Amino acid sequence: MPVKWLFYWQPNVGSQVSSQTLNDVFKRIDSLHATKSTRWQITASQYRPNVRDQALPVDCARELLGVTFTEAPDKIFFVLRQEHMVVEADATMQAIMERLQVYRNRLTVLFEGFQYELGDFRVKAGRAVLAPVENLRGIIMEVEYMPVSSLEQSRAAVLEFMELWQEGVILGQFVPLELNFTDFSLSDHYCWQHTALQYVSLMAFFLSQQRT
Amino acid sequence: MECVVQGIIEAKHVDALEVLLQGLCGGLRETVKVHEICLKTGPNLGAVPSEIHLLCSLTQPEPVWRVRHTGGAMRGAGAEQLPALVRPVLESGIGNSALRFMYALGYKLDYELLRSGFSFQFHRTIPINVNITVSVTAVNRLPKMHTLDEAVPVTPGLHLVQLTAPASPDNYSEVVGAISTFAEFLAPLLHLSKPGVFAGIVPTASTAAAALVSRGGVTKVL
Repeated sequence: MPVKWLFYWQPNVGSQVSSQTLNDVFKRIDSLHATKSTRWQITASQYRPNVRDQALPVDCARELLGVTFTEAPDKIFFVLRQEHMVVEADATMQAIMERLQVYRNRLTVLFEGFQYELGDFRVKAGRAVLAPVENLRGIIMEVEYMPVSSLEQSRAAVLEFMELWQEGVILGQFVPLELNFTDFSLSDHYCWQHTALQYVSLMAFFLSQQRT
Repeated sequence: MECVVQGIIEAKHVDALEVLLQGLCGGLRETVKVHEICLKTGPNLGAVPSEIHLLCSLTQPEPVWRVRHTGGAMRGAGAEQLPALVRPVLESGIGNSALRFMYALGYKLDYELLRSGFSFQFHRTIPINVNITVSVTAVNRLPKMHTLDEAVPVTPGLHLVQLTAPASPDNYSEVVGAISTFAEFLAPLLHLSKPGVFAGIVPTASTAAAALVSRGGVTKVL
């Protein structure tokens, strides 16, 4: 599958992330005569172990993250960050996890927006909100470089695309999310597991930013 | 959910059962070789203790992993009357790191089995669409962890026969009816009943098996 690069909006000192920022991003993409296609949504959820007696120890991962994509509705991806593991499963696995009640959903972040086609690039722009109250946590851009499946081979083209795209933008900038995929035994050949890791990492980043 | 009946057959009659199933189902015989790992939650984890099965099919060039969760059987006077067990089942494909993943989630190994044999699919459209899977397997236990090569039969000389069919709350009684009817076709060779209710072996199975194998032989020659 084509490589997807993920960028998050970093406002200049003194500026705030707001819904207006996203509107400006949409306008800027429109001004490049990109073709607006579909809406997209990605759901990233954080789960904690369901411990019967808090006073007693429990031998399990402290955090489980799950991601689903509207683009791949029959799949769910799980990430264990501490254990460096990404696991792909059929969507039914979510129902199994709910029946087992071993992990409880703590919070969910929705990434949603519009998708655009721009030559060799497919761009998704959107917001990250905490469900269900829709509290804005961040603005993101996903840039998919259609001809290439290798992360390294796509790096120069995607970064150059973003550099050109951001020329003249003054209130902040889109920063690439750089991850060490090899820590999670993911190769340079891009797949959905990479995407899952990117989105849960971004969710964790947005949540940690809010705390600080 | 699924409807299920099961029974046992002596290993020497398995060839005859295969001939009978080939005739009834018409479709392709599929080889079954599944490494089944039963996992249970560790102490203090989950609202209630739970159990999950990892099924690793070894018939493809690469192992194919599935997770299976089986709920408690349907109970009550109505369920008692049914000739098949009805229970909720959820199954999902999962990546190769399934076992490591479940361990990380706090599950512990309870036991593991190796099931080997074959299966057939039987499709009925009247009165409703039903897909019955008939599996005939030798069940082996593993004396040491993950030692598939050292598997030893749980019940030497006996094979397990299982008829299962997916069902829904709306149609399970019809599916049970279809399974029950299909079970009657196999009656010359084995008795099928709800899991946990042992129906024994058929004393006249040898005669039926001899007849089937000779007929099967003729079919093959033709």
